[in-house]
Amino acid sequence: MNGRNQILLLRFAAPVVSVLLALAAGALFMLVAGYNPWQVYATLLTFSLGRADSIGSILFYATPLLFAGLAVAVALKSGILNIGVEGQYLIGAFCGAWVGFSLHGLPGWLHLPLAVAAAMAGSMLWALLPAYLKLYRGVHEVISTILLNYVAFSLLHWLVAEVFMDRNQQIPAGLGSPLIRTPLFDAAVAAPKLHGLLRLFGLDVPDYIAVNLFLPLGILLAVGCWFLFRHTPLGYEIAATGQGPLAARNVGIAVNRVQLKTFLLSGAIGGLVGLSHLFGYYDSFDLDFPRNFGFSGIAVALLANNHPLGVIPSALLFGLLQRGGEGIQAFLTVPMELVVVLQGIMILCVALTMRWLDRLLLRRERGTGA
Amino acid sequence: MDGLLELAASALRLGIPVAICALGALWSERSGVINIGMEGMMLTGAFWGAAGAFWYGPTAGILLAVAAGLVMALLHAAVTVSGRVDQIVSGVAINILAYGLNRFFGYRIFNMAASSPDVPGLPEISAGGVALSWIVPFAFVLTGLSWLVLTRTGFGLRLQAVGENPAAADAAGISVPVLRYAGVLLGGAFAGLAGAYLSIEHTGMYVEGMTQGKGFIALAALIVGNWNPFGLVGASLLFGLFEAMSFRLVQSQTLPYQFVQMAPYLLTLAVLAGLRGKTRAPAATGQNWSRDET
Repeated sequence: MNGRNQILLLRFAAPVVSVLLALAAGALFMLVAGYNPWQVYATLLTFSLGRADSIGSILFYATPLLFAGLAVAVALKSGILNIGVEGQYLIGAFCGAWVGFSLHGLPGWLHLPLAVAAAMAGSMLWALLPAYLKLYRGVHEVISTILLNYVAFSLLHWLVAEVFMDRNQQIPAGLGSPLIRTPLFDAAVAAPKLHGLLRLFGLDVPDYIAVNLFLPLGILLAVGCWFLFRHTPLGYEIAATGQGPLAARNVGIAVNRVQLKTFLLSGAIGGLVGLSHLFGYYDSFDLDFPRNFGFSGIAVALLANNHPLGVIPSALLFGLLQRGGEGIQAFLTVPMELVVVLQGIMILCVALTMRWLDRLLLRRERGTGA
Repeated sequence: MDGLLELAASALRLGIPVAICALGALWSERSGVINIGMEGMMLTGAFWGAAGAFWYGPTAGILLAVAAGLVMALLHAAVTVSGRVDQIVSGVAINILAYGLNRFFGYRIFNMAASSPDVPGLPEISAGGVALSWIVPFAFVLTGLSWLVLTRTGFGLRLQAVGENPAAADAAGISVPVLRYAGVLLGGAFAGLAGAYLSIEHTGMYVEGMTQGKGFIALAALIVGNWNPFGLVGASLLFGLFEAMSFRLVQSQTLPYQFVQMAPYLLTLAVLAGLRGKTRAPAATGQNWSRDET
């Protein structure tokens, strides 16, 4: 095997090795916390992979993480850590919801794309402010996007609870109070489900698990991002900027403009994060709309080492862990948060292994006198 | 007059956890290690502080919180200083870990993921009609001490040297890893204390996410305060004042309360945006260093 192939092999093996390392570290943690790691891992795997409804759930859970991971990975390629995907996707989901409940009578092939466009635009606009602050006012994006996440949470609370709250809810007398949510979406905006397609593969996923069109869209987008970095000038400029802004500037790349474009691209992708849940599972935008996809996206991107195609297995792994978490809680009464701990450990293990690999390669290069 | 005094006391109560956390971040960043895991470390401190206070009383709670902060900081130091992993990546992982661990142990210990039962606090100091926690004056002592140690002792000066120019410090015979471990560990201890203040002294219980971004606000205060102990405490207290005033605005119902809620974050952003180039971070902060890679 020549050196190039060897390096390629190492690059593929490193994430696998680091996941195994993380599982070992997780086992140690379980031992200390008083659980039997073999039993936990066995239950986690058999529950996640042994049933059609679990496979459906994994695909459903992985969908938002696919988009969130891509949003983070694209930004990181140019050296921007977009921690604000969290706030961006929530704002985007609200904009999509607004198109969903305020327009009526459109055909589905028009209504859903319109809602998707609104979500991407809203999320992108929310990313514009930290992009401006970073590039023109020198405010580090990690600080500004985190602060803006809190602003987004408050803004959404106001929009949902005060401005657009559905006050015409039919509640049977004496049965609780109205939900804090927007009016219901037009039926045309619902995302088509994939159950028929999955049945072709012999997977009979129950109806209440809402695997939908956004899953293949996410996979397509991952391929699109890979193509962007591999075969387009913009992708090259983004990667060069991320590798070394000074060197990139010296070869004539307008670093600021490239980073602005990347930040906005990341924001636009971020707008897609919540939509598989919003239009696949919910019928309105609710105050309890799921959070934390943005933060999980950071973990997904890091695990994938920022490779757009790597985001696919990485998101699936996180979906599997989440489903497995439900299994260990139900069957072993192990708190499902154990899988969040595992995710944290995984990020550290991946980062450590990658650094170690970099050092190894550096030493080899020096050793051969290159 | 009473109203003003109460507003000042309120600003102190709200600003002190930010100030303690920012002092911790100062130690870490002055040694050259960015720690965006301060938020998670503070939450970990808040959780274990509440657990300790629940079992053995407030003093034990505070000690346990500091210990918990130290454990998380040790992880951050090991991964960044010894493992040379990107400091921001490690900080993100610390925040995720802290969230998961707190919920996990919340289930194990209190049978609830997101909060603890009520826990006892320390006796309060009351003066002129306002009551404050003992941690408030202690935080000012810590500020003075931090300044003294950082600028007037060999340890502090060596730590600063490592954060400004590790290669030169190393050539002068200073151990870069030892001082960076020290800086990060001090940061974790401060974050733990700030968390203990929040759960034991301020709220009387642990609630998930109770830091509300204060660990990140502390990093902003560090910038606004130009990496100087007195400056960053001033900035933190100013944030406390914003928050105290926003509570009063909510009571007066002049604005939808959600806008009042977001005001401190927006103001912090505006201050950061207005500061362009007027403050300077330690030159080597955020950069890992090792002798064989330079």
